[in-house]
Amino acid sequence: MIGSNATIPAAHPSLPGGLGQGYDQLVAGHDEMIDAQREVRPHWQSLLRALNQLGTSELARRWEEARHLIRENGVTYNIHGDPRGLDRPWQLDPIPLVINASEASILEAGLIQRARLLEMILADIYGPQHLLRQGQLPWELIFAHPGFLRPCHGLRPPGQRYLHLYAVDLGRTSDGTIWALGDRTETPAGMGYALENRIILSRTLPDVFRDCGVQRLALFFRSMRETLRLMAPHNHDNPRIVLLTPGPSTDNYFEHAYLARYLGHVLAEGADLTVRDNRVYLKLLGGLQPVDVIVRRLDDAMCDPLELRGDSFHGVPGLLQALRAGNVAVANTLGSGILESPALAAFLPSLCRSLLGEDLKISSAPVWWCGETNGLDHVLSNLSRLILRRVSQNHRQHPIVGSHLTTQQREDLRDRICARPADYVGQEPLQLSTAPVLAGQRLEPWSLVLRAFLTAVEGGFAVMPGGLTRVASNAPELLATSLQSGGGSKDTWVLASGPVSTFSLLRGTVQPVELNRGGGDLPSRAADNLFWMGRYAERAEGVVRLFRAILVRLTEWSGLIEVPELPLLLRALTQLTQTFPGFTGVGAEVRLANPETEIRSLLFDRHRPGSLAATFEGLQRVASMVRDRISTDMWRILNSLDLDDWGARGIQRPLTAVLGLLNQMVLTLAAFGGLAAESMTRGAGWRFLDMGRKLERAANILSLIRSTMREKTTAEGPLLEALLEILDSTMTFRRRYLNSVAPAPALDLLLADETNPRSLAFQLVQLAEDIDNLPRAQPTAGRTPEQRVILSMVTAVRLAEVLSLSQLNEQNQRSNLEEFLARLESDLPLLSDAITSSFLSHLQLSRQLASEQPGSRS
Amino acid sequence: MIYRIAHSTIYQYSDPVTFCQNLVHLTARQSPWQACKQSQLLVNPLPAVTASRLDYFGNPTTYFSIQEPHYRLSVTAINVAALTIPVTPLASSTPPWEVVRDMIRSARSDLRLEACQYVVDSPYVASSSALAEYARPSFPPRRPLLEGVLDLMQRIHREFRYDSRATTLATPLQEVLAGRRGVCQDFAHLQIGCLRSLGLPARYVSGYLLTTPPPGQPRLIGADASHAWLSVFCPEHGWIDIDPTNNVIPSDKHILLAWGRDYDDVSPMKGVILGGGSHTLTVSVDVIPVAEAMF
Repeated sequence: MIGSNATIPAAHPSLPGGLGQGYDQLVAGHDEMIDAQREVRPHWQSLLRALNQLGTSELARRWEEARHLIRENGVTYNIHGDPRGLDRPWQLDPIPLVINASEASILEAGLIQRARLLEMILADIYGPQHLLRQGQLPWELIFAHPGFLRPCHGLRPPGQRYLHLYAVDLGRTSDGTIWALGDRTETPAGMGYALENRIILSRTLPDVFRDCGVQRLALFFRSMRETLRLMAPHNHDNPRIVLLTPGPSTDNYFEHAYLARYLGHVLAEGADLTVRDNRVYLKLLGGLQPVDVIVRRLDDAMCDPLELRGDSFHGVPGLLQALRAGNVAVANTLGSGILESPALAAFLPSLCRSLLGEDLKISSAPVWWCGETNGLDHVLSNLSRLILRRVSQNHRQHPIVGSHLTTQQREDLRDRICARPADYVGQEPLQLSTAPVLAGQRLEPWSLVLRAFLTAVEGGFAVMPGGLTRVASNAPELLATSLQSGGGSKDTWVLASGPVSTFSLLRGTVQPVELNRGGGDLPSRAADNLFWMGRYAERAEGVVRLFRAILVRLTEWSGLIEVPELPLLLRALTQLTQTFPGFTGVGAEVRLANPETEIRSLLFDRHRPGSLAATFEGLQRVASMVRDRISTDMWRILNSLDLDDWGARGIQRPLTAVLGLLNQMVLTLAAFGGLAAESMTRGAGWRFLDMGRKLERAANILSLIRSTMREKTTAEGPLLEALLEILDSTMTFRRRYLNSVAPAPALDLLLADETNPRSLAFQLVQLAEDIDNLPRAQPTAGRTPEQRVILSMVTAVRLAEVLSLSQLNEQNQRSNLEEFLARLESDLPLLSDAITSSFLSHLQLSRQLASEQPGSRS
Repeated sequence: MIYRIAHSTIYQYSDPVTFCQNLVHLTARQSPWQACKQSQLLVNPLPAVTASRLDYFGNPTTYFSIQEPHYRLSVTAINVAALTIPVTPLASSTPPWEVVRDMIRSARSDLRLEACQYVVDSPYVASSSALAEYARPSFPPRRPLLEGVLDLMQRIHREFRYDSRATTLATPLQEVLAGRRGVCQDFAHLQIGCLRSLGLPARYVSGYLLTTPPPGQPRLIGADASHAWLSVFCPEHGWIDIDPTNNVIPSDKHILLAWGRDYDDVSPMKGVILGGGSHTLTVSVDVIPVAEAMF
């Protein structure tokens, strides 16, 4: 460190006891807060003063609150390679990075220049390619790069703007120089985290924030929103803007959801969008709604499976065609990822001179491209020192750090480079500056990288007065690679030179909150998933209850003489789970005599369709797709159904212990249903969930009664008891009829009684109500198909005469009951189909058509 | 020679397809040796949207979408093309292959820049040391480019077996090289890969071939399929077509449809559908010589 033997004050005036004590002793290079003389830099003084006034314990207390806020807000970052996609809570340090006004304005000019330069290069690559023709940019860098998307060549974005959002990682070395470490032009991530950091910090330290005169971020986001609005080819005044995300499994999903909410955009996945008549549409319950602008957080090549990568599940087939037709705008322009090639940096200084007539203001960290002889020689002779990247490597892949390699690995790398030199780039590792991080009770200097953000504005670019600062205590060379690496993040405070604008985009502060109770804006995909979540939850409950009744009889009694209804229940189980032949058909006698193997398979085999394990798996899968629409508590309940444990432990347990698990399971599922009933608003989403439940429960009742009561058996009494128990109606029955269990009153309670929430009639009446309350694109005069089906079912149940249903014919069969149940059972799928075709018909997934193989016929 | 080519593709689905979007390369492009006299694309059911343009490589391409439910999609492309015999340089007069390789590295002119497109890796064809090794015996030092190319073509023709059941569109090139069998598309990719692995530009050509019937027998209608070969870049001359499947330099019996880096750039038809269940695909190609007077 320069001047380290200069005056070292024993007790620094600005770093009094507690927080800052000993910090200067830990600093070993350039530090953002203290200078070479170990003096606190002027622009950090008011922050330190304010923090010291607060005191260590108060800061710690407030910070605990902030951490709570982070958890509450669900700020997370998914880590790749985590099999369950666990969300890691976002790490935020309470000490912001402070940048003074004069440095910020120098930086701003450099950033804008860099953004302009990159945009010009991009426009040339996807346009006339003068730079390639004149050799200013080696053709290999572009033609060999998988990110150069030929189908996107010649697409003309509105206003000739190619780069709408741009981010760049900056780092400072010991001599004070600031370097660009990496450009983000494809789907620049991080601005949502920067915003969230700011909101948390300004809430936790409002007094400190105010006293320091920090520039606000809202104006930047307003410019960005304005830019996106103006891109719209249609509906300039009120365009529909969607943020296209790969979905909840992606690492930055939190940010996608957060930004969409903040900017008032619709968060959509590829399956929510479709192209018709050269236009992009959003699939909503109320019908297809045109989309004007897409802010995509999906990689270039994934955006259109028709013209780009065919194996993409996340894209919108036909998007390129809609772009060519000029009916939609996409930010950033598709193909912009090519600018992230690490080799490009080697050519920026000369390109800047020739394209802008200026010297590059912010240099890239020194790079050598091995496609040129000089570069190759330099890299090969400095292999042990440099950081190596593939030219085509995206920022999610880690670079190779030369100094971490063994001699053998280094030799292998040398061979690989020599075989394909143009694929490699060597980058000089930089000793990055440090900034104070709160570690326990004291400050420690950690290396930092600042990600700066820009948005296109009319005639140029605007820079966010702030950014996302990431810090790490070790391996700083990896900081530049991605948001995933590094130990934490900081808010970034750019000090104002004048008065601070207090404009805010947060709802409630400037605009009146728009009251919205409609349901037409529910994406069809979410409605479909909620519907299926309802069905799976109910199916699981029905199966669990039947299992419980069977296991009680198997474990607490012995022999068929004591439980004559058991074979009937086992057959009903096969019927209900649709796992034929099971306890029916050929070989059923053997399995009925010794049912345990089949029962265990139906409980625990997750690979067997219809099994309880498979049903749970389905439930969790569907629930994970609508996580943003169910409460945290509902999600927690589902998570408590530990499937691995269920399969692994359950299979070895004796049946009595399994019975205990099933009892627990009934409570868990009841809690889930209870929360759905109590805590979800009665919007379209809840209607679909409820329809799923009611439909499934109706099917469950029909299946149970139909498979057991078709004919009179000697076990009729115990059977009716069992049915009442499974359908949770024993108490009501006892209260009404005391002890005479007869078919007619049981059937009345289970089928026709509209006041019994477990009866068939109750399910159908509720279904009718749900259907009547669904959002409809156009009010229709008559009844819709689904209304007609449900009305006919409700009427059939209301008109049914229970005494006649329970009557036996000469063969001791209940032919009236059979006819009645069969008709209703065949109506249920009609109802389900009618709902699907009215509300979810455009939900099918697209897939690739097989192509012919040339010459395969000759 | 003038040919009329009818290329018909029929998809039949078990369930209705509610929506489909397709991208086809079924219009014959022009070249110094070929003029496309007439081109027609018949799609049934009638598309809601049809848009034609030239792709990045200059091939005519058509996008169409069908927005009504259908069980059957039929696409028939009819091209009438007039061909002359290409001028091919004397193999021994072409420059040494190393000269071509090095010239490409320092591309300056538009034509050479265009050739550079075809020396780098593409989705189906990546250069490798194994491919370079296979190609090496055909390219001793200073051998004229075309001599080496023709020698390689002969070796592929001799050492590989035509077997339409050995490969699919998804079979990787290493497997073709190891298994020594495949169809025209595989052989074209193979030779392209060999040449690129030596640093020489080569492109994929999609088209049709008139299969000459044995003397005295009638020409079989519908037996012809779409065909694939390749083209190599020779400075001062331009592109020279090579057909390793038939071991010939194509003359006026190879009708050109489109070219690109590999199959992926110019596949005759790709599509994305909604619904459809399972489907069957039937393709037939008829290439009929027609009298000059008709056009």
